[in-house]
Amino acid sequence: MNIKVLWMYHTLMDLYGDKGNIEVLKYRCQKRNIGIEVDTCAIGEEKRIDDYDLFFLGGGADKEQNMIIADLLSRKESIKDALDNKTAVLLICGGYQLFGQYYKDQDGKVVEGLGFFDYYTESSSRDNRCIGNIAIETNLDGEIFEVVGFENHGGQTKGVKTAFGKVLSGHGNMYKSEYEGFMNDTVIATYMHGPLLPKNPKVADKIILRALNKHHKIDSLEPLDDELENKAREVMLNRILKK
Amino acid sequence: MDLKLSLVQLCSKILTKMDRGGSLPGHLGLIMDKEFIQRFNMPNIVILVTGTNGKTSTSNMITECLRANGLSVINNRRGDNLNYGIATLLASNADSNYNIKANAAVIEIDELTLYRQFNNLKPTHLVLTNFFRDQLDRAGEMETIIRKIEEVVKDFKGDLVLNGDDPNIVRIGEANQNGKVHYYSVGEYDKSKKETDEASEGKFCPLCNKPLKYEYYQYSHIGRFKCENDNFGDIEKDVFVEKINDDYSFMVEGYEYHPRLKAIFNIYNCAAVINTVKTLNLNYKDVADNIFSNFEVKEGRNELFHLNKDCRLNLIKNPTGANEVMKYVLSDDKDKNVCIILNDNIPDGTDISWIWDAHFERLNVDSVKHIICSGLRAYDIALRLKYEGLKDKIIVIEDFKEVINYLNNDNLESHILSTYTALLKMRSLLEKESL
Repeated sequence: MNIKVLWMYHTLMDLYGDKGNIEVLKYRCQKRNIGIEVDTCAIGEEKRIDDYDLFFLGGGADKEQNMIIADLLSRKESIKDALDNKTAVLLICGGYQLFGQYYKDQDGKVVEGLGFFDYYTESSSRDNRCIGNIAIETNLDGEIFEVVGFENHGGQTKGVKTAFGKVLSGHGNMYKSEYEGFMNDTVIATYMHGPLLPKNPKVADKIILRALNKHHKIDSLEPLDDELENKAREVMLNRILKK
Repeated sequence: MDLKLSLVQLCSKILTKMDRGGSLPGHLGLIMDKEFIQRFNMPNIVILVTGTNGKTSTSNMITECLRANGLSVINNRRGDNLNYGIATLLASNADSNYNIKANAAVIEIDELTLYRQFNNLKPTHLVLTNFFRDQLDRAGEMETIIRKIEEVVKDFKGDLVLNGDDPNIVRIGEANQNGKVHYYSVGEYDKSKKETDEASEGKFCPLCNKPLKYEYYQYSHIGRFKCENDNFGDIEKDVFVEKINDDYSFMVEGYEYHPRLKAIFNIYNCAAVINTVKTLNLNYKDVADNIFSNFEVKEGRNELFHLNKDCRLNLIKNPTGANEVMKYVLSDDKDKNVCIILNDNIPDGTDISWIWDAHFERLNVDSVKHIICSGLRAYDIALRLKYEGLKDKIIVIEDFKEVINYLNNDNLESHILSTYTALLKMRSLLEKESL
């Protein structure tokens, strides 16, 4: 058994340690003898997205994000095929925004998104940048758990029909909002950095399962020793939720 | 006579007597008077020093050089570089009519405070060391910081002393219209590299977005770069460092310097100092060398303590700084313990994700025996190290005293790498425990 991961624009869309997510996926596959092949895709590089089981697009600073948009939009059909064929998708921050309808920046300029989902993002006014530790509760493929991370975004994302989770503490999609991210049966899209996966191994495992299930039929993964992961998570959950 | 100022000065005097410096007096001044900082009549030379890394060392060495040249200089030596700290510095060195009693002010200033206070401080010089990813959670993103600084320096008519080997800094030189721009640069030496896995900034030309070509990298994204499309980076060098030897002595304009701290980032600090002093037409040769060869930033910058075995304390706050400290830690192959203390209070930066951008895999060598993880985010750093195959060497010890006990009992030389707020606490414990 193996999964093939496509890591988009890894030199440009690589903010706030998001590369840690890839490390986690590799580690958790290798520990279980699941083969994992991570391929990268740069601007102009020819790739058939549907050849992969997991598509990963992180966030970038505004400038880097502007550099990749034209290339990303030119791959719309290829990404659509992959989505239709149940490729698992993980999107962080800028990646999340770009799968929606559009992004409207501070000067009112509208940048078109891939338009796969209904949501859209508008730049915030100066004072409501969403920054800080965040905890949410998610129901991911039938299992309910708490997810911790760090958010840092100016964009306010509206029109999300199925959120990644309910905000327990922090901002979420908008300044002081109730819900965070977007999710459907193949896509997880979120503003949560931290990076997301090291302290949330259950989310990592769900993503691996989704990727495996593109070509296999697997219900569960062998458990791993997550002692440090859980400790690091608990410290933050206890602090954020003041249990 | 100004009552508010007198009150602030009194407060500062009392605190100094109690051996407590800090930012409280300035805080008081700014509460009473929002325009407190701009009321001061500044001296003829006002040098602001900012950048991500090297601010404290650079501004302290500039101060020493000016003093050795016979000037009286005020300086926020302890790195108290936000509004309150700067207000304290000014108030405690002014007469009752807001006149600063010195020939020069050398002020280390935080990158974000710079654009708010730039005009209020009436600078004659701005020294920019480098821009790396640091404490992004306060600023939003680095691009925003650079743009804001570009904005404030646009019409600046004074001297800009700039690191010509950092594309993020050269951008700021390009943005300036009316001032005098001076670039310092460091030539290739035997540790320069053609390729790097450390650079997270400076990949693209800020003018045309084409990839930048590097002739060589010194560390992180610092090196000799150029855009082949529009010649961005083709700078005129005012100070050029060459002939760096194994002992990190180096030459500028045929004169040899011998810095005490032997590291490439320190050579950049020295180059900034030389360039700044040169613009003032003061002695920047033997006077500066004398400072470089004696200068040691104590207070947790490679500070040596004597536990049962030697223990060095270093500040880490971002990937580039941490990478450089790790290079130093591993510069010999003696057996050692490493302790990493990660806090996430506001002065540390509340976003600790940068640990995933730093090259902790370098600690995966035989000479590193144990890695003690501590601080408010001890388990986060432990988890990070697990991903570098270091699980068997990790020990989490939350209590700082127990950390010191462990280091003492294990009887190996040790290195403590700590974020800012933990460093202060650890430092005072180490002073007590030192033999």
